[in-house]
Amino acid sequence: MNLDWSIVWQSRWLLLEGALVTVLLTVLTMLIAVPGGIVLALMRGSHFKAVALFATAFVELFRNVPLLLLIYWAFYVMPVLTGLGLSPFATGLVALCLNVSAYNSETFRSGINSIRKGQTEAGLALGMSRSEVFRQIILPQAWRRVLPVLASTWVSLFKDTSLVSVIAVGELAHTAMQIRSQSFRVLEMLTAMAAIYWLLGYPQAKIVDWIHRKYGVRE
Amino acid sequence: MEFDFSPLLDSWRFLASGLGLTILLSITAVISSLILGMAVGLGRLYGPSWLKSILVFYIDSMRAIPVFVVLVWIYFAVPIISGHTFAPFWAALTGITIHVAAYVAEVVRAGLTSIRKGQSQAGLAIGMSSSQILRHILLPQAIVRMLPALGSIISVTIKDTAIAAVIAVPELMRQAETLAGQTYRPIEIFTAVMVIYFLLIFPVTRLVDRIYIRVAHLGRS
Amino acid sequence: MTAFTRKNADKPPMLVYDKVRKNYGNFTALDGVSLHVNAGEVVCLIGPSGSGKSTLLRCTNALETIDGGEIRFEGRPLPVADADMRKVRQRMGMVFQNFELFPHKTALENVALGLTTVRKMDAGEAQRRAMALLAKVGLADKTANYPANLSGGQQQRVAIARALAMEPHVMLFDEPTSALDPETVGEVLNVMRNLADEGMTMIVVTHEMSFARRVGNWVVVFERGQLLEQGPPQQIFEAPTTERTQEFLSHLGWNG
Repeated sequence: MNLDWSIVWQSRWLLLEGALVTVLLTVLTMLIAVPGGIVLALMRGSHFKAVALFATAFVELFRNVPLLLLIYWAFYVMPVLTGLGLSPFATGLVALCLNVSAYNSETFRSGINSIRKGQTEAGLALGMSRSEVFRQIILPQAWRRVLPVLASTWVSLFKDTSLVSVIAVGELAHTAMQIRSQSFRVLEMLTAMAAIYWLLGYPQAKIVDWIHRKYGVRE
Repeated sequence: MEFDFSPLLDSWRFLASGLGLTILLSITAVISSLILGMAVGLGRLYGPSWLKSILVFYIDSMRAIPVFVVLVWIYFAVPIISGHTFAPFWAALTGITIHVAAYVAEVVRAGLTSIRKGQSQAGLAIGMSSSQILRHILLPQAIVRMLPALGSIISVTIKDTAIAAVIAVPELMRQAETLAGQTYRPIEIFTAVMVIYFLLIFPVTRLVDRIYIRVAHLGRS
Repeated sequence: MTAFTRKNADKPPMLVYDKVRKNYGNFTALDGVSLHVNAGEVVCLIGPSGSGKSTLLRCTNALETIDGGEIRFEGRPLPVADADMRKVRQRMGMVFQNFELFPHKTALENVALGLTTVRKMDAGEAQRRAMALLAKVGLADKTANYPANLSGGQQQRVAIARALAMEPHVMLFDEPTSALDPETVGEVLNVMRNLADEGMTMIVVTHEMSFARRVGNWVVVFERGQLLEQGPPQQIFEAPTTERTQEFLSHLGWNG
């Protein structure tokens, strides 16, 4: 077993680029999937049966299929559906957004439902409209319960971005795997890949713990 | 835009064998994750401090490292270190177990620590030992409290088995990829496989939810 | 006033607290408390919240450890080793303020658990004894109920039966009725009075002054980790020797 770790140092800029793409994917996905989740949660609570049903079906579908499958499916279906040739990055982003919006909608739905009905009634009794009640009374309280869960979702998402490597998106996993194939330094690159994810993910996990401690609601 | 689902009918056996392997891998991975996760969770709560530190490091590391990376490392890197090849199925089982067990350990810990201290004190008061208290009083209640999380553990595990496709395990995802490549009908095939996965995962989580609602009062002290 | 002789004063006391001290960080919960409990006595510990009465009770069966002084049970100091303390705990019964029944077990199973796991009794025999005890506390028809399907008073009676199953020499009650609805307090106090009439040694931390007055043989008044005064109920409730005791009792609306 002869190991040459210098490959890791030599590829540091490529790996850094990959890590940045990972971060970019995560940030963009959350920027889209958080509002997306709110919208879906509201749709599920809608009085129009069709809207509620559609939203429920959407959420249950994208929560109960593997992300990897979703990525492949998006890769093949999107060009046909939209007629556009989307880049792998965009395709991966779409798959991630569909998946995470579905999760987020559940997060918001239980966060909103956990606020006592009396709060809504009190707001309406003051003469506020439903949307005012939602914005001024429910949402600010729901945030406390929702934030820790969103933080955990963020960390999971960060890890899940590794799956878009299968459609050749240049994030960290794909970059590391490419360097591995080209240099034949399998053990070194795979270990480096794990180590970089660890270095990036560990602090994030600790921050999530802190958020849970600070905002966590005890039952 | 025309759809041709006939390749699915022609090769249903091919997909079915993939589905069978997915189910096998899921069941074995859930069982081994529960066992390992329970052991790690108990060790983390009641073990000596050196063990606790190691286990906390392991649990936190699995929160940081994607399961894809773990699978790929076990399949490609371990043979280099040990000199033996690792059959894809076993590499996948090991990788998924190691990853999911960390999550199970946290669920176990949360379940046990959520039980009021008074329960163990009541056990002490009638002269029970710590291990008797754990076995007869704490664990039964903790397991009930863990049930909702169990549903998501199972569903996460089934979804993780799809990632085993990347290390050439011929489960459902892999078979779908192969078939799509051969027949040039990716939309039909991946859509159909999506439905299959949905039919597999959705009922399981619903069933666990239902069971929990029935037995929840047994865990409430 | 004629000199009052405590019950069984001619025999060695069952429990002796000798200058017991207990701290929680900077807070002194027990500040050199000395008292003793004779066999067959019902000793009631009363006083404001946080005065140390519950703490003393929990130190008695070593749920909390003391920082100074000594507690002697049946002539011997409480053992330090876990396995030995476990045996001592089997000779003491404790009833908690919030019952602490095991929710995943029926009333019968709750009462029998100590017998099967600690005494290693055969299941059939354990069940028979549990049945008898539940009948004794008036719950013969609720043996198959889970705690979730029992009222507070019923749960507490099961808890008493559970403690009695181990055939303790002394029963420790930690505010047994404080968490109960007023309607169910009576049924629990009745069980406790019957127990006292049968000669059980009992130490009861309570706010139920009428119980202490009618059933107690000896009343100890706590304040801020110290004993204010102790004596027979007639003394404490009708002619207390310290002003602080008078103040405490009148605060509770006790008018003798």
